[in-house]
Amino acid sequence: MSADSSAAPAAQLSAAQLARRRRTAAWRRGWTQFRAHRSGMVGLCILTIFVVAALAAPLLADRSGLDVTAANGPVLGPPSSHYWLGTDENGRSVLTLLIWGARVSLFVGLLATLISMVIGTLMGLVSGYFGGFIGAITFRVTEWFLVIPFLPLAIVLSTVLGRGLFNIVLVIGVTSWPGTALLIRSQTLSIKERPYVERAQAIGAGRRHQITKHVLPNVMPMVFANTTLTVAIAILTETTLSFLGLGDPTRTSWGTMLDDAFQVGSITTGSWWYILPPGICVVLVVLSFTLIGQALEEVLNPRLRARQ
Amino acid sequence: MLGLLLASLVSGLAIGSPAAAKDKVVFHVGMLGEGVDSLNPFLGFQAPSYEMWGLTYDYLTGYTMKDMSPAPGLATKWTTSPDGKTWTFTVRSGVKFSDGVPLTAHDVAFTYDRILKKGSVEGTNWLSYLNGVTKVTAPNDATVVLTLKQPVATLPLLPIPIVPEHIWKNVSEKEVKTYKAEPTNGKPVVGSGPFRLVQGTADGSTFRFEANPDYWGGTPHIDEIDFQFYKNDDSAVQALIKGEIDFVEGITALEVKSLQSQSGITAHNGNSPGFDEIAFNTGSVSAAKGGHPIGNPNPAVLDPKFRHALGYALNLPQLIQKVYQGAGLPGTTIVPPVYDKYHWDPPSDQKFTYDLAKAGALLDAAGYTKGSDGQRTLPNGKPIGTLRLAARSDSPTSLNTMDYFKQWLSDLGIKSQVSTYSSSQLTDEIYQGNFDAFQWGWFVEPDPDSMLSYMTCGQRQGSSDSFYCNPQYDKLYQQQHIATDETQRTAEIKKMQEILYQDSPYLVTAYSSVGEAVRSDRFACLVPQPNPGGIWIEQYGVYNYIHMKPAADAGTCDAATSTAGDTLTGAVQATTGGSSSSSASTGFLIGAGVVILVLLVGGGVIAMRRRATAGDRE
Amino acid sequence: MTLVAEPGLVSAESEAQPRGHGYGSYVGRKVLGSLGSLLFMLLVNFFLFRVLPGDPARSLGRGRMTTDAQREAFNKAYGLSEPLPQQFLTFLKNTFTGDLGISLQYRIPVSELIRDRLWPTLLLVGTSTILATVIGVYLGIKGAWNRGSKFDNLSTGGSLILYSMPEWFLGLLFIATFGVGFWIFPGIFPTGGLHSPDVDPNSVQGVLDTMWHLVLPVTTLTLAYLADYLLIMRSSLLDELGEDYLQTARAKGLRDVQVRNRHAVRNAMLPTTTIIALNLGFVVSGAITVETVFSIPGLGLLTTEAIQVPDFWVLQGTFLIAATGVILANLAANLVYGWLDPRVRT
Repeated sequence: MSADSSAAPAAQLSAAQLARRRRTAAWRRGWTQFRAHRSGMVGLCILTIFVVAALAAPLLADRSGLDVTAANGPVLGPPSSHYWLGTDENGRSVLTLLIWGARVSLFVGLLATLISMVIGTLMGLVSGYFGGFIGAITFRVTEWFLVIPFLPLAIVLSTVLGRGLFNIVLVIGVTSWPGTALLIRSQTLSIKERPYVERAQAIGAGRRHQITKHVLPNVMPMVFANTTLTVAIAILTETTLSFLGLGDPTRTSWGTMLDDAFQVGSITTGSWWYILPPGICVVLVVLSFTLIGQALEEVLNPRLRARQ
Repeated sequence: MLGLLLASLVSGLAIGSPAAAKDKVVFHVGMLGEGVDSLNPFLGFQAPSYEMWGLTYDYLTGYTMKDMSPAPGLATKWTTSPDGKTWTFTVRSGVKFSDGVPLTAHDVAFTYDRILKKGSVEGTNWLSYLNGVTKVTAPNDATVVLTLKQPVATLPLLPIPIVPEHIWKNVSEKEVKTYKAEPTNGKPVVGSGPFRLVQGTADGSTFRFEANPDYWGGTPHIDEIDFQFYKNDDSAVQALIKGEIDFVEGITALEVKSLQSQSGITAHNGNSPGFDEIAFNTGSVSAAKGGHPIGNPNPAVLDPKFRHALGYALNLPQLIQKVYQGAGLPGTTIVPPVYDKYHWDPPSDQKFTYDLAKAGALLDAAGYTKGSDGQRTLPNGKPIGTLRLAARSDSPTSLNTMDYFKQWLSDLGIKSQVSTYSSSQLTDEIYQGNFDAFQWGWFVEPDPDSMLSYMTCGQRQGSSDSFYCNPQYDKLYQQQHIATDETQRTAEIKKMQEILYQDSPYLVTAYSSVGEAVRSDRFACLVPQPNPGGIWIEQYGVYNYIHMKPAADAGTCDAATSTAGDTLTGAVQATTGGSSSSSASTGFLIGAGVVILVLLVGGGVIAMRRRATAGDRE
Repeated sequence: MTLVAEPGLVSAESEAQPRGHGYGSYVGRKVLGSLGSLLFMLLVNFFLFRVLPGDPARSLGRGRMTTDAQREAFNKAYGLSEPLPQQFLTFLKNTFTGDLGISLQYRIPVSELIRDRLWPTLLLVGTSTILATVIGVYLGIKGAWNRGSKFDNLSTGGSLILYSMPEWFLGLLFIATFGVGFWIFPGIFPTGGLHSPDVDPNSVQGVLDTMWHLVLPVTTLTLAYLADYLLIMRSSLLDELGEDYLQTARAKGLRDVQVRNRHAVRNAMLPTTTIIALNLGFVVSGAITVETVFSIPGLGLLTTEAIQVPDFWVLQGTFLIAATGVILANLAANLVYGWLDPRVRT
């Protein structure tokens, strides 16, 4: 009988295995849906190119090309067969700077996002899940941080901490978590009301169990979608901070390239090869993250999916 | 709204075209870098502020164009008593303030008295010029007498703006801290200078001056000066090319080079009396009584022999070429060569050259030999460790210089590491002695006394950022400070430079220059200071504003002579026809074409994708 | 910041509050909340800037103030040597009486500096925001309504690209194209600044001249904000379009445009209003980079310049203005939302 034949394999799988299988199926479903989004796929392709280029930087361009003292090229020379994207004011190849700059820009963007997401998710979960004093306080603090104007705060923190790679990461991470926290909070609030959570409570499941087993897994998809959008903003922010002169002067990122190009007067001297490529790269990378994030949101947000 | 847009477009085009034939001759100056922080001469610190005061007010003594030595200003002549403790200045007659009130010696005495008052805000900027002066009196309208407790060699350098007593006596000690000294209700600031400030405010971006036709130093040939402060180089240079401004100050060497190919524009890098150096921690101590050591300098940099040896490891010509883009001169001592009277030129057997072998030999002789790993060690055998090189993050020159220094050190077998600081952070680190070496620079005034004082023991944790202390140097400083014999003083100053060169608390890397460009198809007769080879504005004194002429009249530049009688050279000649349109750079054609292509492709891709999926989604 | 309109801020709060008595108590609660934000911001403001490195007397006085006595006099004159808690109390008292201290760098009252520099920023940012809101919302509505059309694809695609571009980079491109000029593009616009030399800014010609100088910067900021608003409005309206009540409206016989304007747009406006009002507060920050690129002497540039010294009171002042702006915009958004949508008043 069907009951028997279905009972047997079901009994062989433990609860955890069942859950994992269901999750894998969900992931695969999600991936198929994502693949249907052409814009998301375009974004993914572009991003992959940049990530590969960043990781393969030592293979693509010699690291010594970054050293000012070893630079032999012409000062602000136009593109030539030897220097495909011309040279900067120190005689270094712009293409080398661009490739190595990808590393810094992507690294800062990703690490800052990590910090921001961790803080934001934590604060969002706490303020959404816990009622009473703790919830109210964390919510208030989130709101207050949201209120502080972002760029001036980032500028001041940068000055306090000094210029450096990890300082910029810290600054961006610490100033961009409130948006995520609010999102997570509203998600948590709506999940909290869901029947199965109430049922779990009724059975006597502890708080930690509820959070980790029920709330968190349902919040994670939104967190994931929001992460990609946050990375886009983090990269934009790093570029802007570096352009304003707050970047790490010992490292090349696309933002510091643009700052140098601007300071050296590349519009006047007509050095378009110095000022256009970094900007275009930033646009492409941020665009790809945005497209991916948008597609992810449509895939993962049940409300949006219901639109179809 | 469309109509409004069209209206602004039309009037904008009308305004944007170069100044049509006007009755007034206006000289438009574009300034880059820091702005005017205060029009009150007792409060401001920044360089452009000095320029504004120089146009509005007069000084007792001025500067020659040749080498900035003292020249007559409001004072026609001066005498010193034999013991050097009394100076008597004769103030010229017939000078009037812009409101018609005559300027007399009483105004001079009034100004100096305010500065001499103990703890006054006026003293912050100017007390150092009245060092040692105990009393200022004006026995009559034409005489000022300075009484000193001991002779001072810096006199008669007195670049203190003389303010009108009849206006400033109503500004109390408390009020002067916030007194703006700006034009009010359209009335210009009252001063006796060659120009009058009719419009402008601290931190503003525009300042307008009108000529004083009755100026004692000659009627200016231009009617108005307009200062415009720009925040970035490109705007200013573009404005010059388009003809919106006639002069741009403070551009980079690269921009000078690109402007030199423009017709109608004369651009140059003018030598300025400043230098850049690599400074070492020669022994950081607290300034308090007892002077106990503070901070954590590397023992190597405390040793003058170590530092001196490094002087042979600097490839200064390469530094000038690569880091300063060719604009500047290799450095030697802390008194720039533009002050040729006081500058000491090291003789060839003492002068630093780029000689790694010699540097290595000197290090070996001092006990810093190479260990088995190729790295040098201290005389006691311990490794030197990693020298900390501090660069200022707001200056690419600073960073690049230290990068090169790190390279040269490693060629010698010494490890080092470059860290960046903001200027204020670095000041803090220096104050606490937590550094081994840093890169910075100084501007040196026409009298080297102040610069020399920064290397005395008493200035440690003050203006001495190297904590250098040498009793022999201090003794010489005191001697030259009160010297009355010019020749003897010059010898003492040169000896002091020699001592510093040997002990090397500073390794002077470069003498800087300032990039300037002028529309020589509109204005001419600008004379560089120092002469030749110097800068055209932000000089010591305001000679050029008075003597420059529109290009049409340039054939008869004022007979330019220095007080010593020799002719000044290098006056800007009028040139013909500059284009007021922008340079068509084909590069941007390609570049922006790429951008447009990317936008089109990107937009097209997205549009196509969306159309494809639109069917799925509906 | 998500591209999907999330009225999380307001609706989530409504679940945490007990049922109240309507708009009056709602307003009261919101105002109280804003005051709390203000106080927190003042606290952060004050202590943050005290942590900045560098002793202003030493930084400013390099080479000039050579004796300890001179430096002490400087510190005393500007109140920098009082103990920290006392400085904070003085700061609070002064702020509420409008005295924001004296700029260390310019020696004039900070409130005056801010007053002088406020209007270029307001002009630049205000014009751009209004233009961007109007155009962005309109285009977003049109795009969402004609979803999938060529117009929708182009406008959305263009917006995405603009959104991904730093606004100052766009500004640089405009300077290169229309300020400097090349090929067929004439370089007729000024490359920076707010006024032409020689022109009296208060005359009619001067006002037109100022407008001329603002064309490129305003265009840059407008395009940058427009992209954001367009995308938000569009997705918010798309959300609404899926709702059932619209089918009912159509079934009733209402024309398309009526359905759109009377129902869908009105409801979609609510979260959009919130987001736009929130963004309004951050608009001051966005002006910083554009002011730098175009050399507009406004508040944003003042902030950056003050960092170097560090000019404590100027930094405090500009921070105060920017944050107060955000708090007020927030409050306004909440009040408007509460008035429009009674559901959130609980």
